[in-house]
Amino acid sequence: MSNIQNEMRAVAKELLESGKATVVLGWEKGTMPYDSTPVMIRSAADVDKLIWDEYCLQNLSTYLIDFINTEDKVAIFAKGCDTRAYNRLVHDRRINPKNSIVIGVPCSGMKNPKVAAKTPEGAEVPMANACKECRYPNPVACDQKIGSDVTPWCTAKDFSDVEAIEAMDADAKAAFWKEQYSKCIRCYACRNICPACNCTNCIFDQSASGWCSKDVNASENQFYGVTRAFHVAGRCIECGQCEAVCPSDIPIMLMNKKFIKDIDTLFGNYEAGLVTEGTTPLNSYQVADPEEFM
Amino acid sequence: MERVGVFICHCGSNIGAVVDCARVAEAVRNYPGVAYSTDYKYMCSEPGQEMIQNAIKEHNLNRVVVASCSPRMHEKTFRACVEKVGMNPYMFEMANIREHCSWVHAGKNEEATEKAIDLVKMAVSKVCKNEVLQKGHAPVTKRALVVGGGIAGIQCALDIANNGYQVDILERTPSIGGKMSQIDKTFPTIDCSACILTPKMVEASSHPNIKLITFAELEKVEGYVGNFDVTIRSKARSVDMSKCTGCGTCMTKCPGKADDEFNMKLRKRTAIYTPFPQAIPNKPVIDRESCLKFKSRKEGKDVCGICAKMCPAGAIDYEQEDELFVEKYGAIVMATGYEQFDHSVYGEYGYGKYPDVISGLHFERLVNASGPTQGHIVRPSDHKEPKTVVMVKCVGSRDPEHGKSYCSRTCCMYTAKQATMIRDHCPDTKVYVFYMDVRTPGKLYDEFYNRTREEYGVDYIRGRVSKIYQEGEQLIVKGEDTLLGQQVEIAADLVILANAMIPNPDSEKMAQTVGIGYDKDGWFTESHPKLGPVETHTAGVFLAGACQGPKDIPDSVAQAGAAAVKVCALLSKDQLETEPTVSVVDTKLCSGCGLCVPVCPYKAITLETIQERKGGKTVERQVANVNSSLCQGCGACTVTCRSGSANLKHFTNAQILAEVDALCQTMQ
Repeated sequence: MSNIQNEMRAVAKELLESGKATVVLGWEKGTMPYDSTPVMIRSAADVDKLIWDEYCLQNLSTYLIDFINTEDKVAIFAKGCDTRAYNRLVHDRRINPKNSIVIGVPCSGMKNPKVAAKTPEGAEVPMANACKECRYPNPVACDQKIGSDVTPWCTAKDFSDVEAIEAMDADAKAAFWKEQYSKCIRCYACRNICPACNCTNCIFDQSASGWCSKDVNASENQFYGVTRAFHVAGRCIECGQCEAVCPSDIPIMLMNKKFIKDIDTLFGNYEAGLVTEGTTPLNSYQVADPEEFM
Repeated sequence: MERVGVFICHCGSNIGAVVDCARVAEAVRNYPGVAYSTDYKYMCSEPGQEMIQNAIKEHNLNRVVVASCSPRMHEKTFRACVEKVGMNPYMFEMANIREHCSWVHAGKNEEATEKAIDLVKMAVSKVCKNEVLQKGHAPVTKRALVVGGGIAGIQCALDIANNGYQVDILERTPSIGGKMSQIDKTFPTIDCSACILTPKMVEASSHPNIKLITFAELEKVEGYVGNFDVTIRSKARSVDMSKCTGCGTCMTKCPGKADDEFNMKLRKRTAIYTPFPQAIPNKPVIDRESCLKFKSRKEGKDVCGICAKMCPAGAIDYEQEDELFVEKYGAIVMATGYEQFDHSVYGEYGYGKYPDVISGLHFERLVNASGPTQGHIVRPSDHKEPKTVVMVKCVGSRDPEHGKSYCSRTCCMYTAKQATMIRDHCPDTKVYVFYMDVRTPGKLYDEFYNRTREEYGVDYIRGRVSKIYQEGEQLIVKGEDTLLGQQVEIAADLVILANAMIPNPDSEKMAQTVGIGYDKDGWFTESHPKLGPVETHTAGVFLAGACQGPKDIPDSVAQAGAAAVKVCALLSKDQLETEPTVSVVDTKLCSGCGLCVPVCPYKAITLETIQERKGGKTVERQVANVNSSLCQGCGACTVTCRSGSANLKHFTNAQILAEVDALCQTMQ
């Protein structure tokens, strides 16, 4: 860990001093031991704020959206999942790859800060949920890389949790999701952190459109959850940040994974965020598309 | 303020016998927005329409809902009706309480009435959100493209050209003429096919309004009705058309040989060739597959070149390559014809292995004076005159298991024609015809069939052939005579199969290129089986001839004329009205992700750069832009757009939500 941290600082220093980058996005230590929060560094003097530990969970590539109209050259540190998010954002034309430098960091899996908060200091903390199922711990694409690649601990997608829900009858499913979304406080943290939720004007901020009101109740909350899952379908890069930041512990990834499973079944296995152009299963038209409903 | 008039139509007893129309009118009378509500026996009738117009004036209505049949049936009628009294036609909305209600819920009058009320409430809720829309205008390129140079294509082009419009015929083979040029005689008059076809071919080639584009294929079709941009691949002919005089010297010494497709491979042709003597243009092409020079080039050598040495005009050009060019057309007629079913799938007919089991088209070449046997009917195997001929009908037709489920329509007549021709040429030859049914509807067709049996003594046996096998020099044909209920065995010298007509093998790809529909067999789909037989669902694209389904020559010619009239009606306009029901993008909401671009079937969406003020400075960003002329209003982009910036006019998110809300309120 510390070797990587030293390298990060050295790279950041070099980029800022040489002027290749005007901003470096990384992580710094937060108030709690299980907090590693994003930090924006503009001066080479500040590079020692940068840290690399087992809580650098947060994906930094979404911050690049804010730099699309600036003159800045932004360097970001990116884990495997973060590079998939970066690719997705480039694909959605929401960030400018010419303005950014991606420094890939192979990751051995982050720890679950929510569990850590409830665990006595020094005791073993399990991996974050999404990290447990991670198939891309190494950057899928980057401008330069720190550290050496790790061996992925998962090779295939694990849909056992989705299958458990699928096995329920319709009433049980409805009851399950109703209970989950009755906890939702509509803080929109899941949306704000999501690299696939990158619209300039989110539909949930257009209350006059009539799609979804601001009311916090079971019906509107569920509509919000389902609609968001539809909106990221085929573009979710499985970073699990939505679920990690949810203050109400709603199993949001369960719904996203259901979509991933269905897309794999209907259109063949698909991995979001590996490329930056071309069509995706849900965003293409071919003359030969079957019209089974006709 | 919305003042909606609601008019419930009984459609005689079509709706009225199931739905209580008066109750529906009563139920929505006090629904929000409704100012007037009534019911009437036939809303589409003149008094019905007057009723709507009077109500608009008397009750100061600004929106109208008619609950009746499908919008496909009468939306135009009612839009015109309200427009006559000054209402914007898009302030009219139709609730389908016939196809969607009374017809499918017959006998459940109470539930059907409840459903009709819901459907009307939904329409009222939508019409309240409707906006005034104006039709657009697009220019018309006054030139047509006819794809396919068979009799249908030639006739269609002639008809268009004689109406004073420019027309191009695109033909993929080296010559126009199509299947009709391969046929010897035509039923029911037994006049020479070439004699009636070649004058038309000559007329087409010399017509000032017709341009022939032969040995070329359709590559891509872009644009829309009135303004198609068609990319054409002109295949390398290896002969410079501008220099070639068509003298034919090049063909005399060509050592390359290939099966002669025009003569159904019954003889060989040279590698540089014209398909038949009356070919138009009568200028040869080099078949690079069988040309010694091109074959040797593949092996790194460069031999032969005799044709170039022979050519007095220096027209041979071995270096020619395929050329792509784009032409503009206002209308397209598909006249791509048919192919003959391959009977080799039938084990009982010998899998196509017996040389003396031939198809109908083979026979046409055998009996043709310029064919491989100079018109003598002989067996392909030993060139002896057959003494017994068996003809088998429905080979591939009406056989869903091995062939096609449909009837090919022409076979009964061409079999009768060929039977009489055999009897004419070889009076001592016995002819048997195995048939399932004889179908001869058509002017003088049944008379012809009766003559075949009665005057020409052709023996018709009702039943299918179960097996054909070779025994010595003869073919043993086994079958059943179902009228006598006994097995039949005939020792035949020649068997002629009446093979089905099938679409061109690439008809589906062709349909996709042009953007028209096709059925399960690959025939192009007309817009309406009865009332739109030459139109397609794509505006500006029409059908002529057998590409739409099996047809004989008179039907193909008639359809070609019909398609030509439709084309001329289109080209006679200086401007076309375009529907305003297209997608629009709210650039304020658009993120410019571009995901709508690949989902658009009409390639109507592009990303354009806009400037806007952000944080005190002007910045540029990309947003989606819909070409309203190309957009067909399918709505694929609107469901792709997460931020809801793409919206389909007349089917806006707000309008559809209003309908959903209306439905959900009654459900609660």
